[in-house]
Amino acid sequence: MSRLARLRSWWKWMAKRQQLESDMDTELSFHIKSHAEELVRRGVPEEEAIRQARIALGFIESHKDAMRASVGLRWWDELGIDVRYAARMLGKNPTFTLVIVLTLGLSIGANSAIFSVIDGVLLKPLPYPRAQQLARVFYRSTTYEKFPLNPWDFLDFRARNRSFESLAMYMHADLQLSGMGSDPVKLSAFRVSSGYFRVLGVQPARGREFDFSEERPGNANVVILSDRVWRNQFGRAADILGRKVLLDSRPYTVVGVMPVGVNHPGNSYNSIAYGDTVDAWTPFPFEGDSNNRGSHYVEGIGRLKPGVTVEQAAADFNGIMTQLASQYEGDRGWTIYLVPLFQEIVGSVHKMLLVLLGAVGLVLLIACVNAANLLLARAAARQKEIAVRAALGAWRGRLLRQMLTESLLISLLGGALGVLLAIAGVRALVSFLPVGFPRTDAIHVNAFVLLFTVLVALATGVVFGLVPAVQASRTDPMQRLREGGRGSSGAAGQTRLRAILVVGEVGLACLLLVGAGVMLRSFVNLLRLDPGFRPQHVLTAEIALPSANYKTADNVAGFYQRLLGNLSALPGVHAVGAGTDLPWTGYDENMGGFTIEGKTPPPHEEFHARYHTASSEYFRAVSIPLLRGRFFNDQDSKDGPRVLLINDVMARRYWPGEDAVGKRITFDDKPKDSDWFRVVGVVGDVKDVPRSKAAEAAFWWPVLQVPLMSMNMAIVLRADSDPVLLTDALRTKVRELDPSLAVAHVRLLDRIAEEQFSTPRFALFLVGLFAALALLLAAIGIYGVISYSVSQRMPEFGMRVALGASSWNLLKMVMKQGVLLAVIGVAIGLGCALILGGILENLLFGVSARDPLTLIAVGAIAIVTATLASLPSARRAIAADPITCLRAE
Amino acid sequence: MGKQVDLLQGTLDMLILKAVSLGPLHGYGVLLRILQISGEQLEIQQGSLYPALYRLEHQGWINSEWGESENHRKAKFYRLTAAGRRQLQSETDKWNRLAAVMVGIMSTKPEEI
Repeated sequence: MSRLARLRSWWKWMAKRQQLESDMDTELSFHIKSHAEELVRRGVPEEEAIRQARIALGFIESHKDAMRASVGLRWWDELGIDVRYAARMLGKNPTFTLVIVLTLGLSIGANSAIFSVIDGVLLKPLPYPRAQQLARVFYRSTTYEKFPLNPWDFLDFRARNRSFESLAMYMHADLQLSGMGSDPVKLSAFRVSSGYFRVLGVQPARGREFDFSEERPGNANVVILSDRVWRNQFGRAADILGRKVLLDSRPYTVVGVMPVGVNHPGNSYNSIAYGDTVDAWTPFPFEGDSNNRGSHYVEGIGRLKPGVTVEQAAADFNGIMTQLASQYEGDRGWTIYLVPLFQEIVGSVHKMLLVLLGAVGLVLLIACVNAANLLLARAAARQKEIAVRAALGAWRGRLLRQMLTESLLISLLGGALGVLLAIAGVRALVSFLPVGFPRTDAIHVNAFVLLFTVLVALATGVVFGLVPAVQASRTDPMQRLREGGRGSSGAAGQTRLRAILVVGEVGLACLLLVGAGVMLRSFVNLLRLDPGFRPQHVLTAEIALPSANYKTADNVAGFYQRLLGNLSALPGVHAVGAGTDLPWTGYDENMGGFTIEGKTPPPHEEFHARYHTASSEYFRAVSIPLLRGRFFNDQDSKDGPRVLLINDVMARRYWPGEDAVGKRITFDDKPKDSDWFRVVGVVGDVKDVPRSKAAEAAFWWPVLQVPLMSMNMAIVLRADSDPVLLTDALRTKVRELDPSLAVAHVRLLDRIAEEQFSTPRFALFLVGLFAALALLLAAIGIYGVISYSVSQRMPEFGMRVALGASSWNLLKMVMKQGVLLAVIGVAIGLGCALILGGILENLLFGVSARDPLTLIAVGAIAIVTATLASLPSARRAIAADPITCLRAE
Repeated sequence: MGKQVDLLQGTLDMLILKAVSLGPLHGYGVLLRILQISGEQLEIQQGSLYPALYRLEHQGWINSEWGESENHRKAKFYRLTAAGRRQLQSETDKWNRLAAVMVGIMSTKPEEI
């Protein structure tokens, strides 16, 4: 009550300062007049009465001051005075102010920018209601950390588990939308089990979700469209529900339209929210033999019951897994791995972001130390002024407050600059984020980020202002004034303090430099790596054949054969092939199980490898080398003996010490002789992505013999010169064969390869930038300290010159001081780098975070920088003129 | 030193509240009223009166209004608020208790111990 009244009264007078002043004047003059009138009534002459009344009241200005203080305005008034004074002091020394505000602004801005990324990616909840209940479901074996599910197993999990409110599965299966009167469009589509949207907690804006009956084969020709497809392809048609659309040349009935911004939860390789990039969803039809538990190709996701932990749910699932394993051969050797969706989506960047935040935080710390250092230097120059103020009666707290006002003013200016930089920087940062970075659409400079910036700025101001302020307010006025402001005695302690700060700066900068250095080496290692193929001059595109028009394997194979034939006849084409997978693009977690002739797998293990399909020229087109045997050729036809190509990893894993060429494997449980595939060649390894530890075992079927139909293939065209020139020819050739086909994702293979380096390049660029900034700040710090110390010692240098010291001697004296600071700083910084190195370990490739070469290089860079930073001061020392210096004394 | 000022201030506040509780007064009137009701025993430092009035108004115990004085001048009149009345009551109680205790203590005779 009373506090509210005080606040209201304070605010009233804050708003009406003028009225307060005139009120006080009127009230006090009324008092004097009334008192005087009474005195006159008692017989005192009028003039004398007024004089006496004034005397009785006392010193009016001091009363008014007390009255202002009574309504809580004095603190405010003093603050105003402090701010004006601080602004004047800063304006007097623009270079000093500019250096501090710029360095602080840069580092605060960098912090805010990185923080806005962290806020969007790590702090904001996922765009699903009660997202913390969502978890992804994977299999796990001794060989595979995360493995996709088998659809029949999924049905058993859905029926038997007691831990999930709802459980769903999905798989990527793009569709081609045609019959719209224009060119066919490729839709990014998913097959989902019924209940998929219920798990995510989103509902169609129109229509309904799939029901269980639509999971049955034959009922699955229904589709839910995204808002974007409904808008762009159907012009927001109001009668969209129930309409028949042609997908892969088959009629589907539209049963729903999703609202804007339905985010895809990501799948294993692209463990990233695709944003709202999914165009259509169709039901997953459960068809075929439900005893077939060996193939794994669907992704699992579920919504946990409230209060059920991931561990409890995993125990529940593993119980079911044990039951299944006793029933089905194909389910042995697996356990269940459940991971919260949030962790699955951001896990890959979590660590990198925290490392970046740490790095940028270090930069801010260095900027603080630097600012404190500069303020200390200036406080030294202002000792006399402060001494005078103390002598005139300013109490210590008041001096402290005034100094802190100055540092807070600087830091808030820096914060304001930082906000501007952050707003501009976040846009640049987002556009520079690595390909496939999760949740980029959630990154904004919002109110929370601004609040963070203001708090950081205030904290910064206190941190770098406190030490100099305490130092200055401790000034003993008598001593300072006696010394005439040259301050030689107290300066020793201060110089030591500043030296400690500079050592700290150098140490922190070294820490950042080591980080940047090892990241650079790791990046170079990645670039130097032999990719296993040659991405230059290769154009790629994707084609999906609708199964309605290409019903048999012959149709499919015939189409690709004709297309490849036509393309290879084009001028400028070096080699052209087709394959189900492009190097370094990720895979839909396919892992085919098979039987090797004459071998039995170890218990609880199966023979697995990634399966692909490729045309005979595919390997020449991407330049994957043949190590043994032969590539595919024309004999590997539909009726010819079954053949395979395998990669080196597969050869070594399954035929160690033997020649794999000529060996046979099969995919049938009870194979006839014609079901055996003979290995005809071994090709070089290509890793899934360049940072993978090793390549996975893999094999290729020839297009004409593949047991599954490969409807979707990537065309790879190796050109003699610029492959972009072949784009139009490629489209023409496809249209000539089948005008209903879409040529999608036309890309250059070297661009695809380059994207794989975008994440380490991103981290390297930022950490490198921060390290450079840190080094610059440390150099400014060293320069400041040495420069100050030289100006203090000028008389001494003059004396030395007079006594015959050579320039070289003086140079050495000054430089030694700077280098000594750097050496101590380097020792501390490298020590910290050795201790903290573990943090970076997972982010590096082929180099240790404690790489000795990097440590040595960083030490050298820091010491050279220190030498350069002390050079200008050293030159000043050499130029010391004995006469001037001695006269100044 | 500080403690005494506090005590004096507290007393002054109480006196002012009491004075304006008897009817609206301007600053000079408060001075006269206190002089009058104390039987000319207490004369307040004129300079400390106004900061005290502003402080009490700031606390919300009194409020003010411009009006015309008995000598036909523009003057600011203070009156007690409801909160001020409660404050005065509690101060009065406190004072009475303290006074009773003090009287008891000061009138103690050696044989009573």
